[in-house]
Amino acid sequence: MKATVPRLTLRKTLKKHKPQLRLATNVDLLVHLNFLLFLHRLAEEARTNAFEDKSKIIKPEHTISAAKVILKKSRG
Amino acid sequence: MLKRVIQSQPQVSPLAPRISNHEDKQEAHAEVPSKRVSSMGELQLPDVAPENRITVFCMTKKRKKLSISEFERAAERRLPQYQGKAAVKNSLAQCCICCHSLHMSVGSLLAPDTVEKRGLFRRPKIRRAVDMQEFEGRVEQYMLKSKGQNYLVDSPSGIRTSILTSDAEMMMNTTELFVQPQLHEQSQNKSALEPQLSNLKTSAERSLISDADQEEARLEGLVSGVSTNEKRYSKSSRLDHEHVDRMTHISPQTPAKQQEEKQDHSHQSNGMAQISFTEEEVVCTAEHGANAGYSEHLEKKLSEKADLQITAARDNRGETEMAPSAGEELAEGSIGAQGSPTADSEITKGIGAESLGRHSHAFSSFRKPEMTPLNETDEQGGELQDQAVMLELNSSVEEPAEDEAEYPASQEVSMKTPAFVRAPASNLLLSKPRVAKPASPRSPVQQLQPKVLPRRLGTSERKPREPQIPRSWIKEAFRHFAKMPVTTDAYRIVEKCCERYFQQLSDDLEAYTHHAGRKTVEAADLEVLMRRQGLVTDKTSLNVLIERHFPLQYRKLLIPVAVSGNKVISSS
Repeated sequence: MKATVPRLTLRKTLKKHKPQLRLATNVDLLVHLNFLLFLHRLAEEARTNAFEDKSKIIKPEHTISAAKVILKKSRG
Repeated sequence: MLKRVIQSQPQVSPLAPRISNHEDKQEAHAEVPSKRVSSMGELQLPDVAPENRITVFCMTKKRKKLSISEFERAAERRLPQYQGKAAVKNSLAQCCICCHSLHMSVGSLLAPDTVEKRGLFRRPKIRRAVDMQEFEGRVEQYMLKSKGQNYLVDSPSGIRTSILTSDAEMMMNTTELFVQPQLHEQSQNKSALEPQLSNLKTSAERSLISDADQEEARLEGLVSGVSTNEKRYSKSSRLDHEHVDRMTHISPQTPAKQQEEKQDHSHQSNGMAQISFTEEEVVCTAEHGANAGYSEHLEKKLSEKADLQITAARDNRGETEMAPSAGEELAEGSIGAQGSPTADSEITKGIGAESLGRHSHAFSSFRKPEMTPLNETDEQGGELQDQAVMLELNSSVEEPAEDEAEYPASQEVSMKTPAFVRAPASNLLLSKPRVAKPASPRSPVQQLQPKVLPRRLGTSERKPREPQIPRSWIKEAFRHFAKMPVTTDAYRIVEKCCERYFQQLSDDLEAYTHHAGRKTVEAADLEVLMRRQGLVTDKTSLNVLIERHFPLQYRKLLIPVAVSGNKVISSS
């Protein structure tokens, strides 16, 4: 994994969506953590779909179906 | 000699118990069976002889020498009892084969018994081996070989056997279970019996085997044929339908998918099943639109193929429910059209169910392409699909003609399912690409420009660059998590997912912060979010996750770290 996290980018992304929202110190790290875990779940689900499809490559359709599930899950 | 044979050798045939009882009656009943009265009493008479032959017959497979010598002796004895042999053969055949026709019994009797005829029978039997009687052919060949040695013994009978063999051949070539008694002469019967012996014995087996083989062959042929048909029609579907963009999106997946399905014959995930199902519907629609008359046949094939895969793979889809109900309808047409045996008809029944279900889907998707993809949640999609399934079930119950009437009703509902499946994909694709893609290609280029341009030209910033998580970083992270090769198309989808995710995330954080009466997002808010997501549980705390995923420098920032020397490094 990468050593440096794009913290500034994260901040800017969040600002773009919600300009009025402020971020405390190091909160973006936690945001980044959340993002990593989201990717993790997405990848696992896509991998499961690919296994079920008996293909050794993750294909877009696997990802789509995985995204549907994980996005709903990570709404909180 | 007969008695010795019986006693020495174990009883293999079902007639064995009778043999011992009827040793005495052999000669008395020799004449009766010649008349071909198929009564058990008469049959029992020459039991000794036929049983001997039966045992010998069975023996021939194992011990040629013994049987040959025995045959020789039996032949010597039986030469004068020509008539008796016929009777014996009759009884033998009937007893062992449980055949009711005299001809068959005669033929069966002839097979093991007649020394004089064996040599002549050898030839037709060898020819018969070409027929579907592998096992029995081998047995007969053994018999013939054993008989062949005795061939020289009976020349006059050999002539008769030649005549008989011709008849036998005719009988054999018909490959019928029950050869109708056409021959009235004993010789004919005898000849018929011999081939029929093997016929009768293996008729049941052969029929089963042949049916099974035919079924398999047909299914395989249909599967292969369907694949090609599907490919063709998938291509035609692109041209025919209005939603070329959507159909093309799905239809190119269909041949690949169907190929995968064929190869794998496994289709377990519901998501995949939905997509493939709709794709098959699309293909069905394409086929239907292309050629109404031919489409039926194709759909049957398609349904057969799909049925093979689907019924094999998807149990939870409830398609099997469709299959039996819809199969009834199509069974009529399929049976009538194909004239297949019952086994095949069952298969076509199941196939017909699928095809009918496809019909409804095909019609719906074909006639209502204008339906915009609904912004449906997974629940809605599930409901719609359930409705579609129910409609399919209802439609399948009715006659095929009636099904068409129901198509418009089922179309609406079933139309939603493909729309639904397409919805998230299209949402992801249509809504996001415009936003993301123009931004993404710009950013790497613009990153270079501001460095160069402001220095040299001093112009104003040209980059209203949208903050974006670097693609390569996403790719690497995803690949690391997935541990499998990922296609580039999948990465694009992941990017869109990330954008959506960030939107959701910011909304949630704002809600939490506002709920807490603050304006700044704090770590506690993040923790609440993660707890609600299910990432942080009573078992795994936030710190655990931090330690897992972050390098030390970040961990230090987030978690108070105790260091030697009585020092504590905290994020405060």
